[in-house]
Amino acid sequence: METMAARPVPDHVPPHMIGAFNLFDAPGMPPTPNGDPQAATAIVHDGPPIFYSPTNTRDGRGTWVITRAKDQRRVLQDPETFSSHRAIFASALGEDWPMIPLELDPPEHGKFRSLLNPLLSPKRVMALETAVRERAAFLIDRIAAAGTSCDVMTDFAFPFAVNIFLRFLGLPDDRLDEFVDWANDLLHGDNRQRPAAARTIIAFIDDLAAQRRKQPVDDFMSFLVQSKVDDRLLNDMEIRGTGVLLFVAGLDTVAAAIGFDLNYLARNPQDQELLRRDPSRIVLAAEEMLRAYPTVQMIRVATKDIDFEGAPIRKGDYVSCATMIANRDPEEFAEPNRIDLAREDNRHTAFAYGPHRCLGSHLARREIVVGLEQWLKRIPTFRIKEGTAPVTYGGHVFGIENLILDWS
Amino acid sequence: MKIIVHKEKCQGHARCWAMAPQIFDLDDEGYIMPGDIDVAEEDERLAWKGAKSCPERALEIQQ
Repeated sequence: METMAARPVPDHVPPHMIGAFNLFDAPGMPPTPNGDPQAATAIVHDGPPIFYSPTNTRDGRGTWVITRAKDQRRVLQDPETFSSHRAIFASALGEDWPMIPLELDPPEHGKFRSLLNPLLSPKRVMALETAVRERAAFLIDRIAAAGTSCDVMTDFAFPFAVNIFLRFLGLPDDRLDEFVDWANDLLHGDNRQRPAAARTIIAFIDDLAAQRRKQPVDDFMSFLVQSKVDDRLLNDMEIRGTGVLLFVAGLDTVAAAIGFDLNYLARNPQDQELLRRDPSRIVLAAEEMLRAYPTVQMIRVATKDIDFEGAPIRKGDYVSCATMIANRDPEEFAEPNRIDLAREDNRHTAFAYGPHRCLGSHLARREIVVGLEQWLKRIPTFRIKEGTAPVTYGGHVFGIENLILDWS
Repeated sequence: MKIIVHKEKCQGHARCWAMAPQIFDLDDEGYIMPGDIDVAEEDERLAWKGAKSCPERALEIQQ
């Protein structure tokens, strides 16, 4: 983890509104054996609905932190006041271009969203289900044949999620390990690894786009280079911005979700048994685990001065809406820190609120449900392997580094 | 019972459709079709659950 150079708190932030909590080095956030970083964020619900956290981004910037789910909805449903234009990926290279549609605001955002939505709609995802199930079964059978223990992250969660995603993009599986390394360097690397990975990914996407332009096939990049917005073909930067987003968005998040879920089930044998005995409960259970173990925070930039629940947000301020915080809001979830796999009323925000709702949410949900179904069907009662400890971490994207399970 | 559809608030989570696909119809992008929904008496419980599943609060129940 790189060190964060703290910037001074802006003068307009009243001292009594500064809070000590952040997602990077508050208790439970740094890499922790047997940790539970999402649960550790729930501490903010003892405090006010909004506070200022002086170092709450990867590059050490301060953000306002919105703790209540209903206030996060207000922020994320109002892109005119709270903009997504941040160029996170490009800024690692000292450049300024948006990942699309993530870092565009309406009305531009809607044009690209409408182009991409049909590719990942709930009905389209149903057509991918057989391939998803076969892939999970193949990987898990291989694990079961090899012994009575494995590292879920490297042996199942990553190869599964990444394979499905590459299939969606129309990319070959034989470079899977390489792609996972790029994503790891980009999301979790140091100041040298991140720009290097970003450049590698850009070169790969640009090259693929050039190939598909010359000779289109039936895949995502061919679709993109032939697509139009406002009656014109997408330009090179738009193709790059979209390709890069889809490449990085699918690599890490589903694998992390499967890791957190199997970690929970390994530690809670009664719940594991419940789902094993009655797999029809998995759909609802997966929603509850999405609520309890989401992995991302949304950051918005204020486009104007606004007083928000008594806080003087000024134009240019960052506003953080962390999914794991909203999902532990006691005003919206009864006993939020209890995990109830049969929870019915569960309008969690694992995929965010507002126009930037995760484009891949329907595919992600199917992968998680099918992954858990196949795992429980093919692997007997499992636990954390004695002498090992999964290392969890908070930060920009929450995750779990290793998960050694044992079913001997 | 009637479901008032606030189409402009729909962001395509499709939780209503997951709950009751026969009541909540989606367009090709996966967002709710415009227009309020008249619910048959036998579908009321399911429609209620579907409307209550919307993370954006785009579906309003009118008794």
